[in-house]
Amino acid sequence: MKQNSMLAMILAGGRGSRLHELTNKVAKPAVAYGGKYKIIDFPLSNCANSGIDVVGVLTQYESVLLNSYVAGGSSWGLDARDSGVFVLPPREKSDANLNVYRGTADAISQNIDFVDSYEPEYILILSGDHIYKMNYAKMLKYHKENNADATIAVIEVPMKEASRFGIMNTDTQTGQIVEFEEKPEHPKSNLASMGIYIFNWKLLRKLLVADMKNESSNHDFGKDIIPTLLNDGKRLFAYKFKGYWKDVGTIDSLWEANMDLLDKKSGLNLDDRTWKIYTEDTPTFPQYIAETADVKNAYITQGCAVEGKVHNSVLFTGAQVGEGAQVLDSVLMPGAIVESGAVVQRALVADGVKIGSQAVVGDANSEHIELIAKNVKGVG
Amino acid sequence: MARALGIVSFSENHIWVDGLENYRSIGAFSFLGRYRVIDFPISNFSNSGIDRIQVYVRRRPQSLVQHIGTGRHFNINSKSGYVQIMFTDSQEENDYYNTDVKAYMSNLEHIENTSNTHVVIAPAYMVYTQDFDALLKTHIESEADITVLYHSVDNAKEAYQNCYCVNLNRQKGVESFERNNGKLKNRNIFMDTYVMKKEVFIDLLKEAQKTSSMYTLRMIINDKCSEMDIRGVAHRGFFAPITDFKSYYDGNMSLLDLKTAKAVFNDSWPIYTRTNDSCPTQYFETADVKRSFVANGCMIEGTVENSVVGRECVIKPGAVVKNCIILTNVVIGEGVHIEGQVVDKNARVTKMKEILADPEMPGYIRRNDIV
Repeated sequence: MKQNSMLAMILAGGRGSRLHELTNKVAKPAVAYGGKYKIIDFPLSNCANSGIDVVGVLTQYESVLLNSYVAGGSSWGLDARDSGVFVLPPREKSDANLNVYRGTADAISQNIDFVDSYEPEYILILSGDHIYKMNYAKMLKYHKENNADATIAVIEVPMKEASRFGIMNTDTQTGQIVEFEEKPEHPKSNLASMGIYIFNWKLLRKLLVADMKNESSNHDFGKDIIPTLLNDGKRLFAYKFKGYWKDVGTIDSLWEANMDLLDKKSGLNLDDRTWKIYTEDTPTFPQYIAETADVKNAYITQGCAVEGKVHNSVLFTGAQVGEGAQVLDSVLMPGAIVESGAVVQRALVADGVKIGSQAVVGDANSEHIELIAKNVKGVG
Repeated sequence: MARALGIVSFSENHIWVDGLENYRSIGAFSFLGRYRVIDFPISNFSNSGIDRIQVYVRRRPQSLVQHIGTGRHFNINSKSGYVQIMFTDSQEENDYYNTDVKAYMSNLEHIENTSNTHVVIAPAYMVYTQDFDALLKTHIESEADITVLYHSVDNAKEAYQNCYCVNLNRQKGVESFERNNGKLKNRNIFMDTYVMKKEVFIDLLKEAQKTSSMYTLRMIINDKCSEMDIRGVAHRGFFAPITDFKSYYDGNMSLLDLKTAKAVFNDSWPIYTRTNDSCPTQYFETADVKRSFVANGCMIEGTVENSVVGRECVIKPGAVVKNCIILTNVVIGEGVHIEGQVVDKNARVTKMKEILADPEMPGYIRRNDIV
């Protein structure tokens, strides 16, 4: 079933080093989130729900696990004929040497052959490390209505935080972008770029070919491609997105994004049956809450077994909390085990890590969230 | 290359689960909030390396067909293997004619045409785990004609009423199959599970059909006990046959103990099911949950005790759910107190503030009902 003429490319190249040990073995998009998901489930599910059939995932860091995770695309229903998810690490080609992706734009440039093979009219560029739900088909409609050359999704941020973002200054009547400022000291608007772009492929292709040869270029969408388009007097439009959107680039923000699931007012709800977030299925029993458990304000998924106290926390697939243990304001990633009597507070316990009996980790008064990436021995 | 064809059989005519079975066959019943009963036999096959599986359905196939789908979620090689649903498109005037033998005979060419040398037959209405590859090896080494699985129990007086028992001699030879009459405490409950050569199976089917048009596979094998070498193998571990409403209720309830559950569900023997892509379950400030299994996609603001809660259920503040099995997408309204009930899919319990039953005689709330 051919659904539309837009192909999506997810930029997942960054290591995400601010996530420390969480990205030691996997690329950032493969980091677990929200109980049963991985970060990349969000852009992939958005694509699937928006009727996009072909998605390229551009990565150069630890792509093996990510590749086996998305391979086939069946978890997101992206496995019909003419459909698929493709992990695209840098490749050696007959006419080019093996080269790392030098920037976000270069990652697309090096895959022009891949994009061309689908002959798309439009290309959607996404970043692989944001949590949000968005209908890209609506954005494409807006793009077409404006007869735009490029459309950039923007979100309103508090004015005082605007200097941390790439800011779009627009014609308030038409939404046409007149200026783009990367992290401006004195922002003129609060419309922050979400790193989501739609381009007419023919135009972008031409720019990318030129950009590849330009030795002074950073080969970056924000720094090079967008300014070039503006200089050339092209029609760029800002597509205002309303809803939950979060960059999960740090331990604190990853923890916050998980905590947002506990708050119905955060705007992030994953129980919308018309916009499901799909993920890999795992064969585990449902969650078990024992006689001795005390569970309040918690987000818990299948395979978990809770015999202790879990307050204001998110438990990922297969996490275990022993009798008398306390998990407070914390995130337990897949398979994390908190043994009996242990206390975990304001912490993020990494995949499969065991907190031994009676051990205490994290601190109720800490400014930052503690990442527990190694087993902690029990006490006594 | 698996030597055996896996066959998932349906229940005999004396088995009926009130309420639930009006809507679907027992294999399609929800189990422990997340599974369907048939996930157990199919996963047992899949984990045993048996990847050609025929599922026989007698009536109301819709739920089962939807659940099994392509069969891919059962981890079966999609090229060399399959999960095939076999219909018996008969509209007999009397249900007694709708036997398993008739179902197999009307699909005989699909059984004959497989390259498998043996068949393993397991029922769609019993929950247990069993390595069928090991059972097949035992069968072949013993040189018996037929091997059947049984489970020794010490409470056959009060439970297993609709089950059959195997009477064994000292060499574990099967002397006869007998309906559990509730007179003896200790019995070997027949698990409706057989291993035999494919040609033996086909010969038995033909003979059954000649003997009586209402004969079942168990009946013809019972007749053969003296002339054939039929052996019993004891099953160990969790066993829950679903042969009436009470056994469905008890089967779920008996897993509400973490140790028991962990023995059934472990990484080396996954039980596969079809995902619904529900998000995790949210427990609110007012939630109070004890000794319960909860599936994904629920919103829990009330009290849940000693219960099984299926996918995407809503338990409102002040609601009290005790000793209940709640199926998918049920709403238990504010201040509703409900005990000892099986609440079928999509029901909304909001107006009646008290529906109480003893777990010894659990109640049933109909599918899609508003009460």
